[in-house]
Amino acid sequence: MNAMAKPVPGSMSNAAYEQRLRDAVMDAAPLLNARLLPVSVRSAALNKALAAGLPQLRDDLWRYADLRFLASAALAPAAAVKPEALAAAVTGLLPPKLAGYTRLVFGDGRLVDTLSDSCPELDAGAPPLVPDRTRHERFGWLNDAFATDVARLDVHGAQRLEVVFAATPGAARQAVHPRLELSAAANADVVLVERHVGTTGAQGLVNAAVQLNAGAGSRVRHLRWQALDEDAQLLDTVQLALDRDARYELTQLQLGARSARTSLRASLYGPGAQLALHGVAVATGRRTLDHSLLVDHLAPQTRSKQVFRAVARDATRIACRSRVEVGRTARGADSSQSLKGLIAGSGEIDLRPQLEILTDAVRASHGATTGSLDENMRFYLAARGLDPAITRALLEWAFLEDALRDLDLPELRSAAEHALARALGSDIAQQVLA
Amino acid sequence: MSTPLLSIHNLHVSVADREVLRGIDLALPAGEVHAIMGPNGSGKSSLSHALAGKPGYAVTAGSVDYLGRDLLSLPPEQRARQGLFLGFQYPVEIPGVNNAYLLRAALNAARRARGQGEIDAFDFLGLVKERMALMKMDESFLSRGVNEGFSGGEKKRNEILQMLVLEPRVAVLDETDSGLDIDALKMVAGGINSVRSPERAILLVTHYQRLLDHVQPDRVHVLARGRIVKSGGPELARELEQRGYDWLLDEAA
Repeated sequence: MNAMAKPVPGSMSNAAYEQRLRDAVMDAAPLLNARLLPVSVRSAALNKALAAGLPQLRDDLWRYADLRFLASAALAPAAAVKPEALAAAVTGLLPPKLAGYTRLVFGDGRLVDTLSDSCPELDAGAPPLVPDRTRHERFGWLNDAFATDVARLDVHGAQRLEVVFAATPGAARQAVHPRLELSAAANADVVLVERHVGTTGAQGLVNAAVQLNAGAGSRVRHLRWQALDEDAQLLDTVQLALDRDARYELTQLQLGARSARTSLRASLYGPGAQLALHGVAVATGRRTLDHSLLVDHLAPQTRSKQVFRAVARDATRIACRSRVEVGRTARGADSSQSLKGLIAGSGEIDLRPQLEILTDAVRASHGATTGSLDENMRFYLAARGLDPAITRALLEWAFLEDALRDLDLPELRSAAEHALARALGSDIAQQVLA
Repeated sequence: MSTPLLSIHNLHVSVADREVLRGIDLALPAGEVHAIMGPNGSGKSSLSHALAGKPGYAVTAGSVDYLGRDLLSLPPEQRARQGLFLGFQYPVEIPGVNNAYLLRAALNAARRARGQGEIDAFDFLGLVKERMALMKMDESFLSRGVNEGFSGGEKKRNEILQMLVLEPRVAVLDETDSGLDIDALKMVAGGINSVRSPERAILLVTHYQRLLDHVQPDRVHVLARGRIVKSGGPELARELEQRGYDWLLDEAA
C-alpha cells in the first residue's frame, strides 16, 4: 500500500478561524431564517463549532482531508438574489430530469420554485431534524448555524424524489450550505437521488448536511451523486438513523470537486435494521477525496455491508477510513467491509477498515486492498486488439462497477454507470455504453 | 511452397534476464498447421507470448516477419489487429467486462485496421450466435463477464470462439488442449479444423499428442531448452507419444 504524504494542516490558527466564524455570523445574521432553524439551535451549533475549532494535525479522523482552503474560503452564505436571476444561473447546471421522480432544485442553498415540481412532502416549517453531532461531524454545526433553506421532507408510502443542490460562484465570494432532512415513515418506500453540481469557486465552500431517519420497516434507496466542478470545495456531513427492520441502501458517487470530505455516521438502533453502503470515488487532476465513515450497530440482528471502490489517477489522493462498531446491545449483528483502491499514475490511496466488537455471536469480515491494474488483464485485452487507453479505462470502469452491482433500479443503475464512464473519459463512455 | 505468413529467424528471448528462447527458426506457410511440442519448461509458452508481444518478453536477437512486416516492432494490440491471434493457455477472468462487448470491440478493432467500418449490431449478433452454436455455448454467455466463473473447459472453448469470430490470418494456440475432457477436446478440435483454410496458418502449441489425433498437423517441431531440436511430419508426434522426450533431450544436450 502506498504511504500517504504527510498530511497538510490548515495553514490557519484556531484563533484566526474563530475570528472568521464570528465575522461570518455578523455577515449572515440578517439572512438566517428562524422558522427554518430556531435561533437557539443556531447559536448552540455555532458555539459548538467555535469550541471544536479546526481539526488538528494529530487528529486521526481528519489527517487525510485537504482543508487548506478554509484559510481563505467564504464561510457565510451570500445574500439572496432575485429568484429569476437564481433560476437563470442554475438552469444550465441541471442534469436531465429522471422520469417518474419529483424534482426539487436548490440554487445556492435556496429552493428554486420555478425549477421544482410541486411536492406535498416538502415543508420547511416542520420541526427540524437536528442530530447530535460530534467533533467528527463539526462542519455539520456550521450548516446548522448558516443554512438558508432546507429540503425538509416527511415521506409516507412510496415516493421517488430527486433533490438537486446547485452551487454558483455568485456575485460575491460565498459559501453554500445545502441541507437535506428526510424522515421516512414506518413502512415507507423511498427512492432518493441527491445531486450536488456546480461550484462556488476556489474562494467558496459547499458545506452540506444530510440527516435521514428511516422508520420501522421502511426501505430507503438513496443515491448521492457528487459531480461538482473541478475547483469546488466540499465539506459533507451525513447522518443516518435506522429504526427496526429498516432497510437502507446508500450509493455514493464521488466524481467531482477539488477537495471533498464526507463524514458519515449510520446508527442502526432498531433491531433487524440493515444498511448497505456502496461508495465509488474517482479522482483525476489534483483532486483529494476523503471519507470518514462510522457504522454503529446498536441493536440485535442488525446487518451492515460496505463496498468501496476508488480509482486515483494523476497526482490525486483518496482516503477512506471506515469504522464499524458493534455495541454490547447488538448481539447477532453481521457486518462486512470490502474496500479496494486502484492507483493509476502517481495517485495515492489510503484505505483503513476498522472493527470494534463488544458483544458475542457476531459475524464480521473486513478487507482492504490497493494496487495497480492487473497486467494479465491488460495483456489479454491488448492481445484482442483493444487500444491501451481504452483498456485502462475499461478495466477501471469494471473495477468501479463492482460497487454498483446491488443498485437494482434500472434507471439509477444506468445513470450511475453513465456518470462513471464519463468520469473516466468520453472514449470509454462511448465504448461501454454504445 | 508459398511465402510463409510467419517467418521466425534466430529468435532469442529473455525473461527477467533468463534466456528462454535460444535461437528459434521456423517458417509457417499459408494453409498449414504446425505443432510445437516439448516438455515443460522447453519454451513453448514463451514462444507464444513473445509472438503476441507480452510485456516482459525481451527479444535480444533475431527477427519475425509477419505478412511482410517486422512483427516485433508492433505493440501487442497492433499484432492482434493485423490478424495474429493468441489463444491463451490460461485465459484471464475480467469481471465487469462482458463477452459480447469484448468480441465486438476486438472485431471492430480488426475491421478498422483493415479499413472497414464497424460491424452492424444485427450482423454482429448473427455472426456470434452462429459461431457459438458451433462451440455449443449458451446465449447467456454473451452477457457474462469475460471468463468470469468459467470452468477450465469453458475458458478454452471461449478462446476458440474468439478465434472463430475474429478469423485471424495466423492463430497461435497455446496449450488449448490442456485440462479438457474428451468431449471438450473434440469440440475444440472441431473449431480449429473449421478455420483451416489456404489463406490461414495455425501454430498449435501442445504438450501431448492427443489433440493431434483430431487436428492433423502438417509439421511437428520439438522444442527443448529454448531451441527446436527436431522437426518432422505427423509421425514425429506419435513417436514422441511412445518414446517421450528424453531421447531428444539427450540428443540435444
